[in-house]
This record gives sequence, structure tokens and C-alpha cells, in this order.
Amino acid sequence: MRLLEVKNLKKIYTTRFGGNQVQALSNVSFSVEQGEYVAIMGESGSGKTTLLNILASLDKPTSGEVFLDGKNIVTIKDSEISAFRRDNLGFVFQDFNLLDTFSIQDNIFLPLVLAQKNYQEMNSRLGPLAKRLNIEEILKKFPYEVSGGQKQRAAVARALITQPKLVLADEPTGALDSKAAMNLLKIFSAINELGQTILMVTHSVAAASHANRVLFIKDGEIYNQIYRGSMSNDDMYQKISYTLSVLASGGEDCE
Amino acid sequence: MNKFFYPRLALVNLKKNGNTYIPYILTCIGSIIAFYTMVSIHSNKGLDQMPGSANLKIILFLGIIVIGIFAVIFLFYTNSFLIKRRKKELGLYSILGLEKKHIARVLFYETVFVTVISLSLGLIGGILIGKLLFLLLLNIVHFKSPLIFHIDYWGLLITTGVFLVIFGLTLLTNFLQVKLSNPIDLLKGGQHGEKEPKSSWIVTVIGLISLGAGYGIALSVKTPLEALMLFFVAVVFVIIGTYALFISGSITLLKQLKKNKRFYYQSRNFISVSGMIYRMKQNAVGLANICILSTMVLVTLSTTVSLYVGQEGMRRDFYPMDVSIIGEINNTDFAEVKAIVESEKEKLKIRSSDEISYDLARFRAFQEGSHFLKDMVEDESTDARYYERISNMILIPLDDYNRMTGEQKSLAENEMLIFSVGDNYGEATIVFGDQQYLITEQLEAIPMDFKKTQDMGQTYYLVVKDDAVMEGVYQTMKNDDDPQTTLHALMFNLDGDEDTLNTFSANLRTAITQSNPDIDIQNLYEALTELYFFFGGFLFLGVFLGSLFMMATVLIIYFKQISEGYEDSERFEIMEKVGMDKTEVKKTIGKQILMVFFLPLAGAIVHVAFAFPVITKMLAAFRLTNITLIFLCTLAGVLVYALVYTGVYLLTARSYYKMIH
Repeated sequence: MRLLEVKNLKKIYTTRFGGNQVQALSNVSFSVEQGEYVAIMGESGSGKTTLLNILASLDKPTSGEVFLDGKNIVTIKDSEISAFRRDNLGFVFQDFNLLDTFSIQDNIFLPLVLAQKNYQEMNSRLGPLAKRLNIEEILKKFPYEVSGGQKQRAAVARALITQPKLVLADEPTGALDSKAAMNLLKIFSAINELGQTILMVTHSVAAASHANRVLFIKDGEIYNQIYRGSMSNDDMYQKISYTLSVLASGGEDCE
Repeated sequence: MNKFFYPRLALVNLKKNGNTYIPYILTCIGSIIAFYTMVSIHSNKGLDQMPGSANLKIILFLGIIVIGIFAVIFLFYTNSFLIKRRKKELGLYSILGLEKKHIARVLFYETVFVTVISLSLGLIGGILIGKLLFLLLLNIVHFKSPLIFHIDYWGLLITTGVFLVIFGLTLLTNFLQVKLSNPIDLLKGGQHGEKEPKSSWIVTVIGLISLGAGYGIALSVKTPLEALMLFFVAVVFVIIGTYALFISGSITLLKQLKKNKRFYYQSRNFISVSGMIYRMKQNAVGLANICILSTMVLVTLSTTVSLYVGQEGMRRDFYPMDVSIIGEINNTDFAEVKAIVESEKEKLKIRSSDEISYDLARFRAFQEGSHFLKDMVEDESTDARYYERISNMILIPLDDYNRMTGEQKSLAENEMLIFSVGDNYGEATIVFGDQQYLITEQLEAIPMDFKKTQDMGQTYYLVVKDDAVMEGVYQTMKNDDDPQTTLHALMFNLDGDEDTLNTFSANLRTAITQSNPDIDIQNLYEALTELYFFFGGFLFLGVFLGSLFMMATVLIIYFKQISEGYEDSERFEIMEKVGMDKTEVKKTIGKQILMVFFLPLAGAIVHVAFAFPVITKMLAAFRLTNITLIFLCTLAGVLVYALVYTGVYLLTARSYYKMIH
């Protein structure tokens, strides 16, 4: 079943006083199946973040369409967009984006509170999730009291607690040390195995090598993609590295 | 490196931080104007020649001291705020290779620029506004003859000196800040991990008790003397209570709310409560400051305005008749006095009315029920109530009473009529020494005085059978420094315009004193001049300080909003990403600012409400007993203040929203 379908996405930024136009996305089309784990790779300025912002409904494309579960998110009204985001999407950011005024537990509850769920339900959802992410001990603590890895796991819990159709991760390992990063990637793989669809934007080859499929984006277009098939993570790593070097040297094709 | 490098960098810095430095410089200018104005009015030579200016000068000198202290505290506060905001920038400089001494040099030039701008504009403003305010003051105290307001070089010198010292000290603290910190600390500046604030039940309870004690004192005060003595005790309690409750009470309350899961996990409370906890932690002291400053403004304004507006009523209390001339019977030629009065009236074509003349004896006595004692009981003198039992007694013979009122009353040797100015005299008899008299009637009115509230001891008029009885009582009761014999009084009211009456009053005093220096003349119009100076001076200072405190409040609020705007914008960005509506974000922001903003105002209004009984009692000491008038003045003060406050709120809220989006 097709969960996400992106068709001919185009985004042009115009500087405030007219004049300069920058094309961030020229023509992007791809789709994500239910239960897939997709990584999007590309250099800085390739349009990754623009793409993610559009998928997150934080930004509107200049033209093109994005269907999530058959619903076109480009045409959703502004007044409904927050509720849509809350109900269907979960976010994991590079810099965690936890609120320092809330305890870890309250940070995780935030989207549910906004959706006006009652406390019993929130609590019953949190229990198993906290166990799975190994953050039970730090629930009462505040973000400044815990490590980066713990913060990111809390952020993952916040993304998952709404049981979203799609988890969007923006450089989730970017601010973590290698051990914490590996730990987080294992968690991503585990939740993916339970059926959670994940779309991750990343720089890191190690991170991308955990995905089922890797999309490469260059100059605002999908340049290439790699399917895992039966490859191990290490094989995947090799292949991604090779693709990236070809991409960087401006090669024609790598297959 | 170009030698203009540092001054230029300093100038660029000031410009770049304009949205905080312009208000700061305005504060400096305002303080300098205020200080210079006070100093120059105080030292104005013309003021010395005015009658009754001694009190005014004392009031003005008080003003100079208050403004001086205020300027030091307030400029230090704003400066520390500014330097805190700029830590990141200074850290960046040192990472880019500026040594600490170079940064110090930049800071030095910045201070020099601020000082030069503030002092030059402040002094020019002081010279212009000072003149305007001086004219206003003369108008308030009803002083007619024009006085020239010179530029006061001595005042300029003092003001410059005082503010150079203040600016020097702020520069020194800034140097210390830079010296004590390393670049990394500077870079991180404001963003140390925000700790969950600790709330202390003990501090909260202390705050509650202290506030309760302050309010309790305010409510339990019964008399003006108590009010004057206990007012400052109550103020200290209320200040302690305010700080404790803002700092700890607010957080304790919010934490209790947080513990209530069903309340806390509602989207409209969730963000507000946790946001407020942090806001209160950062702002408790600032908010308590605002609350206390606001209370000061309101109390100062309402009392001074009440006094000024109420003096018309007060002067009648002091002087039931416009002119009263009283002399000892065997030492005064009343025919001559009367002739002088008539000739002075003739000179200025003034008419008089309600003229009365009568014999009297007056003395003070200590009341214990129906007994009036000559000797005061000394050992009770610590009790404020003691003074309220000292009564003014005035004896009048019956035939004078009958002549003035046209009545035909009669009295026996041991009978008296009584008129009490304040509360009715409740006893059936009255005892002087060992002699007891029967009260045959409580009079409702008497020609020379009228009923009014008596807070500071009673005044009784007693009508006795004849001069002999009067003489008898007087000789038993009189103290050593009272006149030897009984007295005779001549009283009348005047008609005419105020200027002529002023001249008449002065002429009359000169003429009568020339003929007999022992005669006691009380004159409403002479007294008015002094009252105007006294209450006008108070009003002037009240409005002056009120505006100054208001300026301070406005600035504290402004700086607070600016600094919070920067931090909050990040927070709300995250919430939007997690799925919070833009309109919801706006509503939450609005709710929080509203609470932070109006909490101190609400606190101040509650303080004023509890202070009201004390204020009325204290004003009663100045013979202002019209509670409706005081209430209206207070209410008007609160309304005007709330209006200005709301205006500031709307302005800062706008710049705050801009920062968030």
C-alpha cells in the first residue's frame, strides 16, 4: 500500500525584494510504501531540508502534489494543518527541539495534550513506549539534566506517542556521538520492524545504511536510489559510499 | 589599527543595540532632568522671599534625596540588564581576538558616548522643563508675583558631578563583569540550563504572615496618631510579604496546579502553567519591584491630590470664621480693636458679615468619663490613645450665648449647656476639680463653630450661668502658661476677592499688633497662603515622583518583554512544529503576557485598597476628613495609572509579537 506519494514537486524561493530566485526543488517525484524505512541523502544545499519541510506541511511547494494516505496535504486549509500534522506525522529533529520548561515526560505528552487526550490514555501509551526506548528512569527529569542520546530518544517517544502514519526525521544522529547514534539507529530499525513507516533525511552514511531504501538528491532532483534487497548494513554502507563519491565527482550513472 | 577604531566600534555597538540602548539613554536623560529640576528649584533665590517657603524647601530637599537614590538604583538595574543581554556579543569579540583590555576600552567609549549624550540633552531638557515646572509649582502654591527662573550654574555642576559618579560606577561594574568571565561563559551568556525553580513553603508562609501582618495593621488602625506611627511598620511588612509571595508563593501555587493532573494536562493550562513557572522564576523580583513601585505611585498620587483638592474643606475646619481676634479681658481695649477693624475695612471697601463678640475662657483638660483633670497622667504617654483624651474646653457665659443666638435660655449656678464639636458628650454631669455640674442640654449648634469629625481629641463648648462661674472654673483648671484672666473674642466673616482680602488681612495684623502685641489674631486668608505652600509643595513632589516612578515601571516592563521575546520565540517555534496552531500559540502568548503584566498592577491595587483606611486616618491628621473625596481621588489615581499601564502593555505586546514571528 502506498502511504506517501510525491508528484512533480517544485519549490522556488524568491528573495524578499524580488530579483533573485533560487530553485530549491526542480522536479521531485517518489513514493513510500506502508512500513518502509527510507533515507534521503544529499549534500548541503541539495534541497533535502526543503523537501522535508514540505512533507512536514511546514512549507508549501511552488507546484506539485504530496499525498499522504490518499490525502493531498498541499491543499489542506491553514486552520486544519496543525491538527493534521499532530495526528498523522511524528517529528525527530537534529537538535531535539525539546522544551526546557517541561520535564521529559511532559515533553512527550505535549502533542497528546494539544490533541486533548485525557491523562489516563496518555499515561497508558507512555508506559510501553518508555520501556521500549529505555527512558523510564529519566521521565521526571528535565532536558538539561540528561545526555544527548537520552534527549533524542525522548524526542522519538514524542514523535511516536501520537501513533503517526509517518515519522519524519531530520538528521536525527547529527548531534549525537557515535555510540548514541548507533543506539538510536537500532531503535529506528526496531520500530520500523514493528510496522512504523520512517522517512529520514541525513548526511550520515552510517545512518542511511540502516534504511531499506536510500534516495539521493542532487540540485533539487532525485538522482538515484538504492534498494537494500538482501544486503547487510555493511554492504549497504559500501554501496552508499560509492554512490556518494560518484555523486560528488559529478559522474553520469553508477549502476 | 586606526586610533578611531574603538570609538567607532563603540558607536556602532550603541546603534546596533538601539532597541535597548535608546530606552536606557532616555532613562538617563529623564533622571538627569528630574534631578536638575529639583536642585535648581530648591536653590532658587526667589523662593526664600516667599512666606511659608521653609516647608516647601524641606519638601523639595526630600525630593532631591529620593531622586538621587532612585537614579542610582534604577540606572544600575537597567545597566546590568543591558550588559547581560550583550554577553554573547562581548564573547564573540574576545573569540575574534580582542583582549579584555580592548573590550574594556570599547565599553569605556560606549559609556563616554552615553554620558555625553545623556548629560547634554538632560541638562538642556532640565533648563527648559525646569523652568516650566517652576512656573507650574508657583501656580500650584497660588503664588502670584512673577519670579525669574535663572539657569542655575551651581545646580548644573552638582547634577553633572552626581551623574558622572553614577556612570563611572556602572562602567566599573561592567569592567568587572568582563574581567570575571571567560569567552565561553560570555558566549553562552543567558542560556545556562534552566533549572526547575525550587519553591519553599517556609518563604511562602513567611510572605503570607508578613503580608497579613501589614494588612492587619492597616485595617486595625483607629486613630490618626496610630496611623502616623504604624504606617511605616505596615509598609515594611507589606514589602517583605510582596517579595516573598512573588518569589516563592507564585511558584508554590503553580506547582500545586501542576500536581493536579486533570487540570494540568489540558492544552490551555499545560503550556501556561509550565511557562509561568519559568517566567516567575526569572521575573519574580522584577515583578515585585513593579508592584511596589506602582503602589508607591498610587499612594503618593492619591494622598497628595486628596490633600490639595481637599484643602478648601480643611481650611473651614481650622477656621470656622474668617477672622477671629481674641484678647485678655482686662488688658484689651475692644472699642479700639473694633475701630481699627472698621477703618481697615473702610480703606479697602470690604464688607464683613456674621459678626459676633463674646467673653470666653479656654483651657485644655484630660478627660476621664465625666471628670476633667488638670494634671495629665504622665506614665501613659506612650499610648497613642492618651493624646486623644486631651480635650479643648471653651467656656461662654449664658447672656453672651443668648445675645448671639436670640434665645432665652436660663441656667442655675451648677448647670451647663454643652456643645461638642465631635461626638456627642454622653455624660449627664461634668466635673471640674471637686465641683460637679449638671448638663441640662446638648446643643445642636453654636454660632462660632460647627460639628465636624474630631480625630485628635475633643473640643467642647460649655455655656455657663455667668462670668463669675466661668472665672471660677477657669481659675481651678488653668495651667501655668495660660493667660491670667478670661478672654474676649471678636469674630467675623469677610466678603471680597481673594487678593483684596489678603491685603486686608496683612494690614489688619500690622495695625492691631501695633496697638496691642498680645492680641491673638487668627486669619483664614493668611493661613491659606501657608496651606497652599504646604499642600501645593506636596502635590508638586507627589506628581513629580509619581511620574518618575511611572517612567521606571514602564522601562522595567519594556526591558522585561524584550528579553523574554528572544527566548520565547524559540519555544513557540518548537510548539508549532509539534502541532500547535498559530492561533493557539497567539492565545497562549497573550494569556501569559497578560498575567505577567497585570499581576503587579493587581497586587498594587490590592495594596492600595488595604492601605486606604490608614491613608484616610493619616489625612485626618491634616484635618482632611472627607472620605468620599479621598476615595474619589484614589479611584481617579488608580484609573489614570491603570490606563497608562495598559497603554504601555499594548505597545510592548506589539513588539513582543513581532519578535515571536
